[in-house]
Amino acid sequence: MASDTDTSSSQTKASEEGAKLRAAIDRSARLPVLFFFTSAALWLVVASVLGFLAAMKLHWPGFLDYDWLFFLNYGMVKPAFTAAFVYGWAFQAGLGVAIWLTARLCRAEIRNPLTLIVAGHFWNIGVVLGILCIFLGEATGMEWMQFPPFVWPVLFLAYSLVSVWIVLMFQTRRPGKVYISQWYILAACFWFPWVYLTANVFIHVLPGAAVMSAAINAWYINNVIFMVLTPIGLASAYYFIPKILGRPVHSYQLSIVGFWGLAVLTGWSGMQKFLGGPLPTWMPAIGGAATILMLVPVVTVAINHHLTTRGNHGLVKYSPTMLFTVFGAIAYTVTTGVAALFCFLPVARITQFTHASYGFQLLAVYAFFSMSMFGAIYFIVPRLVGGEWRSAKMIRLHFWFSTYGVASLVVLLFIAGLVQAVGINHSWDEGFFYGVSLSRGLIAGSAVGWVFIFGANLVFLLHLSLMVCRRGLQGTGPTYLEEPHHASPVASTDGDVSVIPGSAKA
Amino acid sequence: MTSLRQFVLLLFVAFFVPWLFLIVIPHAKLRAVEPVMLDPEDPSLGTYPAERSNIYKDGELVFAGQGCANCHTQVIRPTYLGNDSFKRGWGRDGENLTHTRETRPEDYIGDRYAFLGIQRNGPDLANLGHRISDRVWLHTHLYNPRQHNDWSSMPSYRHLYSIRKVQGERSSDALDLTGDMAPPAGFEVVPGDDARALVDYLLTLKRDSEVPSAGDGAEAPAADPAAN
Repeated sequence: MASDTDTSSSQTKASEEGAKLRAAIDRSARLPVLFFFTSAALWLVVASVLGFLAAMKLHWPGFLDYDWLFFLNYGMVKPAFTAAFVYGWAFQAGLGVAIWLTARLCRAEIRNPLTLIVAGHFWNIGVVLGILCIFLGEATGMEWMQFPPFVWPVLFLAYSLVSVWIVLMFQTRRPGKVYISQWYILAACFWFPWVYLTANVFIHVLPGAAVMSAAINAWYINNVIFMVLTPIGLASAYYFIPKILGRPVHSYQLSIVGFWGLAVLTGWSGMQKFLGGPLPTWMPAIGGAATILMLVPVVTVAINHHLTTRGNHGLVKYSPTMLFTVFGAIAYTVTTGVAALFCFLPVARITQFTHASYGFQLLAVYAFFSMSMFGAIYFIVPRLVGGEWRSAKMIRLHFWFSTYGVASLVVLLFIAGLVQAVGINHSWDEGFFYGVSLSRGLIAGSAVGWVFIFGANLVFLLHLSLMVCRRGLQGTGPTYLEEPHHASPVASTDGDVSVIPGSAKA
Repeated sequence: MTSLRQFVLLLFVAFFVPWLFLIVIPHAKLRAVEPVMLDPEDPSLGTYPAERSNIYKDGELVFAGQGCANCHTQVIRPTYLGNDSFKRGWGRDGENLTHTRETRPEDYIGDRYAFLGIQRNGPDLANLGHRISDRVWLHTHLYNPRQHNDWSSMPSYRHLYSIRKVQGERSSDALDLTGDMAPPAGFEVVPGDDARALVDYLLTLKRDSEVPSAGDGAEAPAADPAAN
């Protein structure tokens, strides 16, 4: 991106060549990226249904309680939800965005895009088989690692294949400065196979102490959130915010602090989930310390985005990408703030093993990561299919339903966690009863949150399918959320291929 | 950010350090922990943790596969994190114990995986074997959770059971069901293999076996009477 300095004021010839190159890149990226996006969107609708069922079953076990529907018991539908949500939706959306961003930033066409599609198919087959096994009672009982052990090599190879392709693209990049987003994507390509292999080998292949397996599981969940989803989410924010504003990222130095802070600290964190558990005390303690220290890089990222956007926050009124990305960037700051808060003992008393921990996962994976991915998808897809989004109304609906849904889920689950913790920490058995019955209404409320999320993502899937089936609008400008009051409200709109890219300050 | 090689090397080092010190070394060290004799001179006292029969291994798989761990923890936390130790029925009640001791890494030796917990939507099961000894009660609870507690939000695990016609005498492990879910007259509900394995596993959950007194500390007074 940095090398992409053919601004509109300079020679038109160079910019024409740039446009041609971008069109060629988008052509090569079309199939794999659209494959990942559509299957991700489909999984997200499935996940919304499963999330709704889990919330219903948790407060009302008699809901859809038939003998032959035993697999909808909370104990099976919740792991199935997590699998569909994380491995079906989040990973695939992230991979799609990572592939496209790398191709654009390296100014390299994707060679053999078919390989990526094959990897995507294997990934989907792995997730489908894994979820079927969960429904058949073959789950492992490990949070976020519920798939039976034969699934992980499939997912590992599929992800690694995509990683190798991204690294190859990076190596054939055209000369120019390496942009911040590329650091994050390369890091995610590199970290996830390592983390996934470590977790699965040390739990399934060379099992050690039972408590160590549990500790590794907690570390794994944390690392999926902060070493895979976070880098891709941040790569997207670092690309789209400057891109749409048409100005460079405020500070290169701050972004270095943000990146290396994340790289150095995250590997230590995760085990604070079992604060006070039967582990050597230093392990959860160091996890808590690293998570609190993470606030430093996170704040630098937040300041950087804020200063980049300063004076142009109004753009969220027009640009869908900007709206979703800014939402995601703010949610990222909130997510890490909450993660740090959870490390303090008086807070951990409330959040450990309660609904609040689930609320945190939704905050991280939906409010931050998914919203960032929606923003990226709204930008990328029109370029791949050569048509504009059909309806601003559908995008607005997607945004507001998602926002209402995830906000109500997170708030209700945090309050439910508080109520539940009061019950658990009460000295007598009656306390437990109150914890269960008082949080019941709040969990019922969270089911309503899922209805909103389901509605939002059904609209999103429909809209995306129309685009993929070439029903996008032709010959119009980019789809704004609101009709601009004057000709060009946006310094450099996200709809035009030849926008002025923001380049990192040298 | 000069070259790809340098960048990857830095990434590698940044992650290698926590990977080695937080995962690999503790994994190797904790792997080596073995049960110890409570008193090396008197083997009849047994080991810490107390040995458990192997029958529960199948049940552990059922516990995992049915998703029990999504709502039931198996950990007694120290008092700075919760009142687990003082909950009635979460430990060994009625033996003049003031509280249940918190769980330790050794309590999980022999388990395939320590189901410490995801959420605690139901009561903790670390010491379930102490508070329940009646198989039929537990089977009945798994079949119809609301027979004993009408506020329970536990799902029914009736797919692990079968209803059959009473042949001659009623089987000894038939469930004591009342209300809506009771079988019609002349029929009985009996546990299947998975349900039996699950209950066998649950009844062995006693993660509070006696901890050996620290070897060195116990001998110190004898070696040095002046210290008393």
